[in-house]
Amino acid sequence: MHLLGFCRWLENTPAAMAFRNSTWMFDILETFHTLGIVQVAGTIMLVDLRLLGLGLKREPVSDVVSRIVPWTLWGFAFMAVSGFCLFSAEAVKLYDSTAFRLKLVLLALAGLNALIFHLTVYRRATEWENAPVAPLRARVAGLLSLLFWMAVIAAGRAIAYGPGYDRT
Amino acid sequence: MRQSLQPFFYWYGHTPLANMMSNSKVLIASAQIAHLLGMTLLLGTIMMVDLTLLGFGIKRYPVSRVAKELAPWTAAGLVIMFVTGPLNLASEAMKCYDATFFWIKMGLLVPAVLFYFTVHRRVRMADPPVSGFRARLVACVSLTLWFGIALAAKFIGFVGDDLRQPAGIFFN
Repeated sequence: MHLLGFCRWLENTPAAMAFRNSTWMFDILETFHTLGIVQVAGTIMLVDLRLLGLGLKREPVSDVVSRIVPWTLWGFAFMAVSGFCLFSAEAVKLYDSTAFRLKLVLLALAGLNALIFHLTVYRRATEWENAPVAPLRARVAGLLSLLFWMAVIAAGRAIAYGPGYDRT
Repeated sequence: MRQSLQPFFYWYGHTPLANMMSNSKVLIASAQIAHLLGMTLLLGTIMMVDLTLLGFGIKRYPVSRVAKELAPWTAAGLVIMFVTGPLNLASEAMKCYDATFFWIKMGLLVPAVLFYFTVHRRVRMADPPVSGFRARLVACVSLTLWFGIALAAKFIGFVGDDLRQPAGIFFN
């Protein structure tokens, strides 16, 4: 399969070898990748709670979204870069990891959910954003987002319990 | 000081709960994942209040309004952390006892919680809001303490039980 070939190539690039062989690099990347969870999932969670009517109820949805989502996107860019560096260091091992594959699928689902929300029900946000309870479709989007991101975190953590890892 | 707690860690690491935890990879993984999700909730909400204090968050509203709405979620995050933390500790009590970064984490945890319920509380709940340098300083101290804890926690796993090694081998 082509992807495996790509993983083999990536793992043997000088940068990937440096990440893998340095005492500090991989650990530091992983630390920042973990702390980045707070910025991505912690912020999007607040938007989800607003959509579900469980938090920040008195703030209009568009205020919450426009204030918080830039932090989420900024954090996501950071996660994507650090994540790709981490991936490059052990690409072949991750190619075989069920948890990692699941994580990528869940990430795609989380992205798709957000995209659908922004292109549909959020377009008409001015009609409903001041109500404490959002329309059903917005609530469903909030709930799905919450579940997908929790699952992404769980799958990410589960990588370390798969075959080939001794870290417990 | 640390040595005096050794019997406690030894006892805690050999309780039936600890044995059950350390014998099950699924239980260890679940407790770790729950701890990580709790961290997201706890630090995510605190970060949003601190960003608001710094003037980056939801700044159209007084900080106290945002803080009041998020307080129950921060509390929930704190409860999750204080339940799953000791569970994780049970599965590797002696490793933590011998880990420099575990003690750094515990050392930061006490001031972080105290700060959150005292100085931070006064500033985030202030009406009219505290502005300028004092608010920003409190936000910076809060972020440093909480992210310091998370950073130290991550490093327990990397550096491991270094205190068991002869002196001088800190990072190897």
